Amino acid sequence: MTLTVFYLLSALSVFSGLMVVLSRKAVHSVLYLVFCFFTIAGHYLMLNAQFLAAVHVIVYAGAIMVLFLFVIMMLNLNLAAEAQKTPWIKISAVILSGLMLLVLVASVKGAEELSAAQPQNDIGLVKNIGNILFDKYLLPFELISLLLLSAMVGAVLMGRKEPQPQNE
Amino acid sequence: MNILQTIPLNHYIMLSALLFSIGAMGVLLRRNAIILLMCVELMLNAVNLLFAAFSVHHADGGGQVMVIFIMTVAAAEVAVGLAIIVMMFRKAGTTDINLFDTLKW
Amino acid sequence: MYSTPYDYLPMAIMAAVAFGFVAVTMAATHLLGPKRKSEVKLDTFECGIESQQNARFPFSIKYFLIAILFVLFDVEVIFMYPWAVNFKEGGLEGFIEMLVFIGILLAGYLYIIKKGALKWE
Repeated sequence: MTLTVFYLLSALSVFSGLMVVLSRKAVHSVLYLVFCFFTIAGHYLMLNAQFLAAVHVIVYAGAIMVLFLFVIMMLNLNLAAEAQKTPWIKISAVILSGLMLLVLVASVKGAEELSAAQPQNDIGLVKNIGNILFDKYLLPFELISLLLLSAMVGAVLMGRKEPQPQNE
Repeated sequence: MNILQTIPLNHYIMLSALLFSIGAMGVLLRRNAIILLMCVELMLNAVNLLFAAFSVHHADGGGQVMVIFIMTVAAAEVAVGLAIIVMMFRKAGTTDINLFDTLKW
Repeated sequence: MYSTPYDYLPMAIMAAVAFGFVAVTMAATHLLGPKRKSEVKLDTFECGIESQQNARFPFSIKYFLIAILFVLFDVEVIFMYPWAVNFKEGGLEGFIEMLVFIGILLAGYLYIIKKGALKWE
C-alpha cells in the first residue's frame, strides 16, 4: 500500500518535473512546478516529516512560485515565443544530464540496503525540530537572519524604481 | 507502521537523482532565465527530499533542520535572482540568457 | 504521542472529495448544460462593461517589490513556529535568541521604510 502510494507520487513528481523542462509556455512551467512541489510535500508527509511538509507548501507553493508567476505576468512573457537552442545543443544537454543520472545511479547501485536504526517516528514534529534548531543549529539560525537582511537590501536596491530616471 | 521498512532508502536516492538530473537538463536546455531559476529550484528540492529521507532514516532531526535552512536560502536566492532578472529585462527587453553576454570575454 | 502518515487519511479523503466535487460539477455542467455559442455568450462578462483587453497585461513594478519582501518575511515567520512551540522550555535564553533574530530583521525593515520601498506614491 505505502509502496504503491510512493510509486504514484514519484511518477507524478517526475512527470511534472519533466513537463517543467519541456513545456513551451513559461506559465505552464510554473504551474507544473507548483504541482511538482505538492507531490514532494506528499513525499514529506509519507516520511512523517509533517512540519517540513507544511513549511514546504507555505514557502514554495505559497510564496516562491507566486513570485515566479508574478514576474512572468509582469514581464508579459506569455506572448513572446522563447528562442530555442540549436538541436545539437539540445541533444548534448539531454545526453549530458542522462550521463549524470547514470553516474549518480551507478554510484549508489552497489550500496547495500542500510538497515534502519529503528527510526523514531516523531522527529518530524514541530517540537522536536525546534529543539534541535535552537540547540545544535543556533548559529546558522542567527546567520539566516543576516542572509534575509542582505536579501532584503539587495531586493530593495534592485527592485526599487529609480527616484529620477536619467533619460527616458 | 514504520514507513521506511516498506520503502527502501534506495528508492528515495533514485527519485532524487532523477529529479536532480531533470533539473540539470532544464538548466542546459532552456534559454529563458526565469525557467532556469525554476530548474535550479527543482534541483534544490531533489536534494531536500534526500536530506529528509536520510534524516528520518537515521532518526536525526538535523537533516530536517537543514532542509528548512535550504528553503530559506532558496527564498533569498529567488528574491534577489528575480530582482536581477527584472532589472535585466528592463535594460535589454528580454530574459533570453544567450543575449546577456556582456561579461563574456 | 505517536503519529503516522496514516493519521492523514481523513485529510486525504477530504481533499479527494473537495477536488472530486469540483471536477464532477465542472464535468456535469459541461455535459448536461445546453450549448449555445454566440458572440455575446462567449463574452467574459455577459452583462456589464465591455471587456477592454487581455487579462494578462503587464502591471506596475511597484507590486513586485512588495511581493519579494513578502516572501522574505514569510520565510522569517517559518522560524517562529518551532520557537513558539518550545517557548516554555527555551526560557529566557530562547527569548533572547529570538530577540537577536528579530532585531536583525527589524534593521532590514527599518532600511526598507527609510528607503521608501513601501511608499505608494
